[in-house]
Amino acid sequence: MSDYIGGRRKPFSGLSALLYIDAKLVIPIIIITILGLVTIFSSSSGNLDLVIKQLTRITIGIIAMIFIAQVNPDNLKLFAPILYIFTLLLLGLVLIFGVGNSADRWLDLYFIRFQPSELMKILVPLMLATFYADKPLPPKISYIFVAILIVLVPVVMIMKQPDLGTALLIGMSGAITILLAGMSFKFFLGSIISAASLLPILWINMHQYQKQRILTFFNPESDPLGSGYHLMQSKIALGSGGFFGKGFFNGTQSKLGFVPEHSTDFIFTAFGEEFGYLGVIILMSLYLFIALRGLSISIKSTDNFGRILTGTLSLTIFLYVLVNVGMVIGFLPVVGAPLPFMSYGGTSMVTLFATLGIIMSIKSHQRILRK
Amino acid sequence: MKTKSRRDSIRKRKHIEEKYSWDRLSDSSDERRSYKARALIAIVIVISLFLVYATKLYKVQVSNHEYYSVKSDSNRIKIRPIQATRGIIYDRKGNILADNISTFNLVVKKELISDKKDFLDKLGKLVNLDKNMTKSINNQYKNRRLKDITIIEDITLDGYSKIAVDKYILPIIELSPKSKRRYMSPEAIAHVMGYVGKVSDTDIESSVVKIHEGMTEIGKLGVERFYQNILSGQPGFEKLETDARGEVIRVLEKRESIRGKDIVLTIDLDLQNFIYERVKEKEGAVIVMNPNNGDILAFVSFPGYDINLFTKSISTKQYSTLLNDIRKPLINRVTSGQYPPGSTLKPFIGMIALEQGIIDENKLVNCDGAYELDNHSRPFRCWNKEGHGNANLSYALTQSCDVFFYRVAQLTGIDLISEHLYKYGFGQKTYIDLYGEKTGLVPDRKWKSKAKQEPWYPGETLNVGIGQGYFLATPMQLTLATASLAKDGNTYTPHFLFGDKNNKTSELSIYDYENNKFSTQVKDSHHLDIVKKAMWRVVNDRGVGTASRLKKVKNIEFAGKTGTAQVYNLDKGKTGTKRLQDHALFISYAPFESPEIVVTVVVENGGGGSSTAAPIARDIIEYYMDNKPTSVSMYE
Repeated sequence: MSDYIGGRRKPFSGLSALLYIDAKLVIPIIIITILGLVTIFSSSSGNLDLVIKQLTRITIGIIAMIFIAQVNPDNLKLFAPILYIFTLLLLGLVLIFGVGNSADRWLDLYFIRFQPSELMKILVPLMLATFYADKPLPPKISYIFVAILIVLVPVVMIMKQPDLGTALLIGMSGAITILLAGMSFKFFLGSIISAASLLPILWINMHQYQKQRILTFFNPESDPLGSGYHLMQSKIALGSGGFFGKGFFNGTQSKLGFVPEHSTDFIFTAFGEEFGYLGVIILMSLYLFIALRGLSISIKSTDNFGRILTGTLSLTIFLYVLVNVGMVIGFLPVVGAPLPFMSYGGTSMVTLFATLGIIMSIKSHQRILRK
Repeated sequence: MKTKSRRDSIRKRKHIEEKYSWDRLSDSSDERRSYKARALIAIVIVISLFLVYATKLYKVQVSNHEYYSVKSDSNRIKIRPIQATRGIIYDRKGNILADNISTFNLVVKKELISDKKDFLDKLGKLVNLDKNMTKSINNQYKNRRLKDITIIEDITLDGYSKIAVDKYILPIIELSPKSKRRYMSPEAIAHVMGYVGKVSDTDIESSVVKIHEGMTEIGKLGVERFYQNILSGQPGFEKLETDARGEVIRVLEKRESIRGKDIVLTIDLDLQNFIYERVKEKEGAVIVMNPNNGDILAFVSFPGYDINLFTKSISTKQYSTLLNDIRKPLINRVTSGQYPPGSTLKPFIGMIALEQGIIDENKLVNCDGAYELDNHSRPFRCWNKEGHGNANLSYALTQSCDVFFYRVAQLTGIDLISEHLYKYGFGQKTYIDLYGEKTGLVPDRKWKSKAKQEPWYPGETLNVGIGQGYFLATPMQLTLATASLAKDGNTYTPHFLFGDKNNKTSELSIYDYENNKFSTQVKDSHHLDIVKKAMWRVVNDRGVGTASRLKKVKNIEFAGKTGTAQVYNLDKGKTGTKRLQDHALFISYAPFESPEIVVTVVVENGGGGSSTAAPIARDIIEYYMDNKPTSVSMYE
């Protein structure tokens, strides 16, 4: 039965072998971060400070990625439950002592301010993959219920912060994990129906401004100066870019302040205004490539833990892209989700690189089938 | 201690290695295959979503590019008009009637006010804040549409320097310059000038004024309105790029404005002021016109009003005070006031009868104080109850005998009278360069049946014969008709425009009055002599003429005709007793031998023409003659 050998580095060579990293993932990511820096530079009318800050974060992210890539997946498995519970405690602390504007999502540790909810974006899939690791797939129904519980506890806490956007993203990544792990068709159907029946409860528990955003999404004209304004201005920016774009540093919508948050949540808009449909399609293709590369790694993985974790993480990255882009083109309500590897911001950049680190760790530490 | 912990850690690692030993791991090919299937489904979903997004982005960025491009430009590009300097208006001697002065508005950007109470406190140190100002500031502060608050409008240069010195107290305030129209002698000349105001919807619909893009002010009345298209020039514009807060980033394009043309009027401001000072306590109209070319030297509708009030935003209270003033200062009585001319119509009735051969100069009518008409129970009375005895035309005009003209009117008939009164310009516009001129009324059978659904009664002809009844004329029409007598049937369209100046060369292109000459055929110039001589007698035949008690004007003689119009049938009982008095009228021209001016005076409820209107005309003629050397236009 034992078909595997404990091979580690043997099949790989060169720098990527030395650092346990995957060049096919690293290259598109580097391109995307450069595009992000260029867009931040342009839409802030040439503010180098922002670019340097972001570059620092990217560097920290890459270091974190390389560091995590060295970690044996088995150790990840080992520490997953501890990290998961620790972060749940942090979320609890945020609910009690949080700082921030309208939504208390930040935890101020005096030397660093960060959002524990960002950590959960990695830890929920990691915890689920760990949970499924030693169980035969597809799992028994009782295991699925435990898995749902693992997802729901942090999701509810984050919703209370209130940060509906992140809560939904984590909920969805949990759902992806559970779906990738597999289930019977009957159970799949049943869970969809019950999830739909939970929607009204969700609606009742939402804050007024969250409800407003969703209402505006379905009827943008109802509020042309409020949240509908963001969407309208975002579309104007993208549309005025045309096929080839207005050109680097020529964007007016974002630079003159008509597009809000042009370096963070709406960076895709700023990019699309200057680089046009051509640029946008190239960018989207890079994300698609990352997702497919991740899925390919997951298919080639040699155990359930690796499969589920890499599959979920790469799909989650793509999901973030879809949610962010969907938001700026009016597919989805404006929920405040960053564009992976591009948006200005620290926590999200580091966690995303950490995500990549995990995928690379699994890829480069996998065991080779004994012939 | 050390060795113990080390042992512990080795044991722990061993335990882990045992638990996750490679050998114990298994990977069933079933699990691998079923996962692969799910991953492939995921890949299909990912690619489809990618395609859906790519399609949507294509729709936004490529298909609707045009639409969003326009929107993007209108977001960032604002057009700011640059107002053109309005042309200056001069009188015939080069006095300025209307010019533009720089004033300042004290404004503050709302976003700069951090603490409103503190702002008001500091502002109070700078200017005298009264209740109304505080209220207006608060209102503007609350109005979300406004970005700026205007604290004070139209600060003069003096006020500007006062505020500028203390500006350090409140550095956020700004003094923004603007141009404002200023009128000299605003009351005396009100009805000639009109005024300038903000462009309104009615202006935009109007066909007589050209509205340029970006124009904010427009001539509303008077000459300012009539010559709007010459005076206004053309605004320029600045194409600005602004950010989302409306701050200007840069100027993309600029076109300078074109200055309006200066114009020179035929008005003699000194004469105008002299007349206004003489009459401003009364209500009525005075015109001084040169019959040789139609130049209007003075055009006074009194009382006037301060047209400078209208150049800033006039308060509703001030406006309604003017509007409800019982003296009706807003009405231009010269061209819009329609009066029964009374006896001033008699020279024209006489001329018509002579020309039509109804009477000759020797025709006598016996006046015993009243005139009987068949089917009329009450006789038509002469103003002189004693009667005038046997009167010919000359005597009847000199004495203003009513019975003579009753008889003449009856003989001539309404058809001939109305037909020929039109030839003197009654019943139609004079086409003076003002809008809103009234036509007066020359009644005839057609008019009567249409307006009153009644036939024409013979008694009504008699009333028209003495300038009463339905007949109405504006003072302007009377002036033009008098000019026609004075100049033997030759008239020129009355006009204010002397000429307009070329912007660059300052060269004056003079209004061509010869093009607007009208001649009425006079059958026999002897007829004119009879009537003119009679009008001379009115003023100069001592003891006989109705205006012969006037003090003589040095060196010259003039001719005229008094009129006293009964107005009890105009606004019966509507107003106080004063309103029921007669209108006083006087038409005249001077000098008698070679007329230079026609002077018409109408004083509402002024009593008798000889006692009220004639002395005013006499003083005007004297003033004109005394100041004649200086009255010559600097352009002549």
